[in-house]
Amino acid sequence: MIGRAPYVLLIAAFVAACAAEVARTPSVMQPAADGYPRLLELGSPAEVFTGTGYNRVLAAGTRWRLTGSIAQGAVYRASEGVLTLEGANIHEAYLVVRDRDLVGFFLPVEKAYSPLPQAVRLSISNP
Amino acid sequence: MPRSIRWLLAALALALLPACATGPRYAEVEKTLPKVAADKGRVWFYRSGIMFGAGIQPSVLLNGEKVGDSVPGGFFYVDRNPGSYEVLLSTEVDRKVTFTLESAQERYVRMTVGLGVIVYRVYPELVDPAEGRKEIVETSYIGGKDKK
Repeated sequence: MIGRAPYVLLIAAFVAACAAEVARTPSVMQPAADGYPRLLELGSPAEVFTGTGYNRVLAAGTRWRLTGSIAQGAVYRASEGVLTLEGANIHEAYLVVRDRDLVGFFLPVEKAYSPLPQAVRLSISNP
Repeated sequence: MPRSIRWLLAALALALLPACATGPRYAEVEKTLPKVAADKGRVWFYRSGIMFGAGIQPSVLLNGEKVGDSVPGGFFYVDRNPGSYEVLLSTEVDRKVTFTLESAQERYVRMTVGLGVIVYRVYPELVDPAEGRKEIVETSYIGGKDKK
């Protein structure tokens, strides 16, 4: 019964200790151009597969404030609370949205863009 | 009881000896802590009183500067200028958390005990302020570099 448990635990610990670093490329955030909504409110939860092993769920009702833009889209940060992107390290992260799709994250400290493996369509119900 | 088990229990007891923080509880000192200056932000650091890995009490480094220690059941804070920050603990596995800090903003960094490849390890997480405010009341003030 106990036989395999230590090995499973060891492998799980090893995998956790070897989480991939968050993939990113340098990016410069500019003031947001006109035309982007100043505020986004999610009408339903969005499950985000990040590709690092630590996925995220953006809760329904959360609000996101326009902060700027980068080449990949408009950048929104959490109005309340905090969003982090997690891999080998943990980074504060903002959403990068293009045409109602979440395409990746902007990391404000690293000044970098981290793309999602697959864009996620957001259900936006602006107040 | 077999001798090996007794030795194991003794070792476990020794590991837990330096365990939990002994300072005043958050509720006792909350009102006495100075408000954060308008041109600075505050970073709170706390760790639950969970006994696993209690013997592991690494230094807390904020942008490379030691600002306190990660003690089970303890909390402290530092006030800093707005900017970008990185928190790292001096444990065997480097796992940092990065975040920005704005004027009058409060950030909560929870130090969590996890299972490493061989031993327990402690790593920092940036948590939602509402969650941080709720959890920190269970901890005791141990003072950081900005201790008043």
